[in-house]
Amino acid sequence: MAAKKHIKWSHYINYAVISLATIILGVLSIVGALPASYQIIFENIAIAITLAVSLSMVVGFLGELSLGHAGFMCVGAYLGGKTVYLLAPVIGEIPALLCGFVVGGALAAVCGIVIGLPALRLRGDYLAIVTLAFGEIVWSIFMNTSEETFGGALGMPTVRIDRDYLFVIALVVVLLCLAVTQNLIRSKHGRAITSIRDNEIAARATGINVTKYKLAVFAISAFFAGVAGVLMASSNYTVQSQKFNYNYSIEILVMVVLGGMGSINGSIIAAALITFLDIKLQTVLTGELAVLQDLVYAAILIVIVIYNNAPGLKTFREKYNVKSLLGKLHNKKHDPANARDDEAKWDRVPTKIQMDEVLSVDVQVKSPYDPDKAGKGDN
Amino acid sequence: MEIIETLINGLSLGGTYAMIALGYTMVYGIAKMLNFAHGDIIMVGGYTLFVTLSTMGMPILGLALAVVVCVVLGVTVEKVAYKPLRGASPLAVLITAIGVSYLLQSLAQIIFSSAPRMVYVGGQDGLGFVTIGSLKIQKHILITLVCSVVIMVVLSLFVKYTKIGRAMIAVSEDKGAAQLMGINVNMIITITFAIGSALAAFAGFFMLMKSPSLTNTLGAMPGIKAFTAAVIGGIGSLPGAMLGGLFIGLIETIAQVVPGMGAYTVAIEFLVLIIVLLVRPTGILGKKRREKV
Amino acid sequence: MKTMFKKAFAVVLAAAMLLTLAACGGGNTANNTEYVIGVSGPLTGPAAVYGVAVQNSAQMAIEEINAAGGLDGIKFKLEAMDDKHDATKVAANFAALMEKGMQVSLGTVTTAPGLEFTKLSNDDKVFFLTPSASGDKIPEFDNGFQMCFADGNQGAVAAKFVNGLGLDKIGIFYKSDDPYSKGIFDQFKANLDKGIATVETVFTAANETDFSAQITELKDCDFIFMPIYYQPASVFMTQAKGVLKNNATYYGCDGFDGLAGQIDLTTIPQEVSMLSHFDATSDAQATVDFVKKYTEKYSAETLNQFGASAYDCVYAIFNAMKEMKAAGKDIPVTISAEELYTLMKDHFTGDFSYSGVTGNDITWEDNGYVNKAAVKFTLKEADK
Repeated sequence: MAAKKHIKWSHYINYAVISLATIILGVLSIVGALPASYQIIFENIAIAITLAVSLSMVVGFLGELSLGHAGFMCVGAYLGGKTVYLLAPVIGEIPALLCGFVVGGALAAVCGIVIGLPALRLRGDYLAIVTLAFGEIVWSIFMNTSEETFGGALGMPTVRIDRDYLFVIALVVVLLCLAVTQNLIRSKHGRAITSIRDNEIAARATGINVTKYKLAVFAISAFFAGVAGVLMASSNYTVQSQKFNYNYSIEILVMVVLGGMGSINGSIIAAALITFLDIKLQTVLTGELAVLQDLVYAAILIVIVIYNNAPGLKTFREKYNVKSLLGKLHNKKHDPANARDDEAKWDRVPTKIQMDEVLSVDVQVKSPYDPDKAGKGDN
Repeated sequence: MEIIETLINGLSLGGTYAMIALGYTMVYGIAKMLNFAHGDIIMVGGYTLFVTLSTMGMPILGLALAVVVCVVLGVTVEKVAYKPLRGASPLAVLITAIGVSYLLQSLAQIIFSSAPRMVYVGGQDGLGFVTIGSLKIQKHILITLVCSVVIMVVLSLFVKYTKIGRAMIAVSEDKGAAQLMGINVNMIITITFAIGSALAAFAGFFMLMKSPSLTNTLGAMPGIKAFTAAVIGGIGSLPGAMLGGLFIGLIETIAQVVPGMGAYTVAIEFLVLIIVLLVRPTGILGKKRREKV
Repeated sequence: MKTMFKKAFAVVLAAAMLLTLAACGGGNTANNTEYVIGVSGPLTGPAAVYGVAVQNSAQMAIEEINAAGGLDGIKFKLEAMDDKHDATKVAANFAALMEKGMQVSLGTVTTAPGLEFTKLSNDDKVFFLTPSASGDKIPEFDNGFQMCFADGNQGAVAAKFVNGLGLDKIGIFYKSDDPYSKGIFDQFKANLDKGIATVETVFTAANETDFSAQITELKDCDFIFMPIYYQPASVFMTQAKGVLKNNATYYGCDGFDGLAGQIDLTTIPQEVSMLSHFDATSDAQATVDFVKKYTEKYSAETLNQFGASAYDCVYAIFNAMKEMKAAGKDIPVTISAEELYTLMKDHFTGDFSYSGVTGNDITWEDNGYVNKAAVKFTLKEADK
């Protein structure tokens, strides 16, 4: 029973941390002790977490690579943002924002289903390219709208919700997104979804309705991307469609991958850290130092990915990390009963990109057929 | 006549895309990774060309040096950023590739400033025209078209008939089995990166021959379009990449001349792409994947 | 075990964030020892050349002012932040600038982020004089002023010029996803005589390297209006050699400036003209001095009208503050942005006039638009 309790508690740790942060920061903000720059950072962090967690559903749990997440966000930002803009003078900002969430999220979800349809037929990179294409089509359509409708090249004016509390709303959205995602993933439906990722044919054979689940995951993921879009529209005075090009989709993907595929907490932490780093680099490396931003960012990215994933560094990693150090402190052993269903080892079966099956039999560290050695032997 | 000119323009643009797509698809076929830094190799080749042209002024020497620099860079990047991750998830490699891309662009801005540089491969007045009947075609367009076709043919022959080429096919089909047959997989991967980077240098040369303006983001958009081309042709397939490149180039050029459609070029391009993929889910020439249970 | 790790990480993260808060001060100017001028512009990315030009030139102007003793001994300081030409990055920049004690601003370098900056600066009442964000809505509120011509005005003036030429067909080549280009085009089209037929061709950021399709379409035009920046213009002109008529005219707006540094215009057979406020090749004394100073300090490649305009902006702000101080207004070094805004906007809409690199006797309308002479510069005559 004790073990069971422990699992439950650990399931709610992320809610606890985020709720606590929301309350503390909210109070600080009301008192006026939170500088504007931090309010903006927290807004952006909340948006990034919502995006990363929702993308993580598609990439980490369903196992499909999506390069068009910003496209769903674009739909939400424009249509939800427009809703808020039209309704705010009538019913007030907060009710209008809530309506915006519903409209933006729902329309993005519809797009998610539309994009989910090809996902039934396409695999891996081919699906990735379709999602990328979708994202590019969406923003270039909004780009070419007239000034009266969606602003076209000049961008669409939106309502900027007061930054004193917008980030609190955004963090509540994060909690909602977490609740939906985690409960889904930990339910039997979640197990069905991860089974589709691990082996679609086997899943189908066990009677899982693959079509239904794929569309549902795309729809839910797109819904929250749309909501994040509305949040972004409300944290600025304008939305401009170029923002939502493939580069932005890739930025979100970076968060998910860095956080560890199939790990929601990982996505949260990675999204928060990357956003924080990004804004700090932008506002600290100013003037002539600005060219160093990308350099620093790229260097950090490469080092972290190699450190986290290089098979050659595996022993080093296991010896010196927080996990093992804490493990020593607690002197606990790994108990199979504590294994979580949603805990995907992301070096195991992360996506359905077809290279995986090749790679899984490939150059493993302990492989007796080390290509380097074989080569040297020939010479 | 305009239609024929547009078609030739499109094919020449497509030839350049095909060249980049070949690099993408070869690396994908053999290292199983999406090399998002591939476009930036083009940019580095462009700057090499710029430096050679402004100091010595010989385009062919510039091209040769660009090829050398790109090959060295491509191989170094592979050794430093991708090789440690061999055996890890392909998405991890994708992220380092993105990191490398940022890194190269940032370094280029630090070294060469953000100002666009003009690189006149064919001299300031361009290379002139070839007139066939009532057709007046710019020479550089023909050169691009002819060279890209020649390079593609040579590459196909290389892959088909040389020992290294066949080793590449073997590695792309089954790495484990290839290793067992005594093929040095790491060596083959390095060679693939070298060839892909050399193709990128050629692509950069052709791009600058057409459009002499060089900035540190030169390769970003062509890179993503070539990736699209590689996928539309069936990723991993060499003839597919060529076909995909030509296809994308043609669509892009045609969309630009249809009245009122110019602003929607990107949307049209990608819409056609989606339709093609829905009809042929593994690209035009992609092999149907066997599903293992 | 894994959860332990994550828990620890999350707690550390939250704690780190909260701790860093304490180290951060609010947005005030009480600790200023210099007047702080803030600007947000693209210092990296595809539009970086414009942001870098503004940053360099503004820095140069400030160093000159400081070397000459500043404003009664008080020096100036420039804070330039990178927005990557992305409006969503402006909010963070603006907040950071305010926290660094910004008292007066150069706004943004480009229009798209500028639309965001306009609203933010109106909320906090910060006066800005933008060198180059030319969108019509940039000076929407009474705190915003422009040193460059507004796009709509440029389009209208260009259309009037073209109406007077007696042409019956013109070609237009513009960038449909660029607010600058689209803004000028819209007003140009609206003010153009209905009798003039147009061949409209566009390009987008996704394709800035191959214009062969557009050039083929514009083949029969004698006059081509190109409200675009010099980089795509130089590509267009290079690719159009031998395809377009040799006696044709390329007519651009202030974005054309920089062309001469980019391509050798003598190799272009067509006429190249622009309607602008600055021409780096002009022999006006102010221009010659500016170009000389800039190229000595920085590289010639980044010299363009954005920089010239930014140089003027800094001097205009300085002159205004100097005049106000001479008139007995109190401008302490710790003056708040809002107090300075009240003084500045009254002064700029009053009888303040400024002469510099980009024009003489420049004045500002009450709505923030600049009032100065737009000159038609013929960069190169058509070959005979």
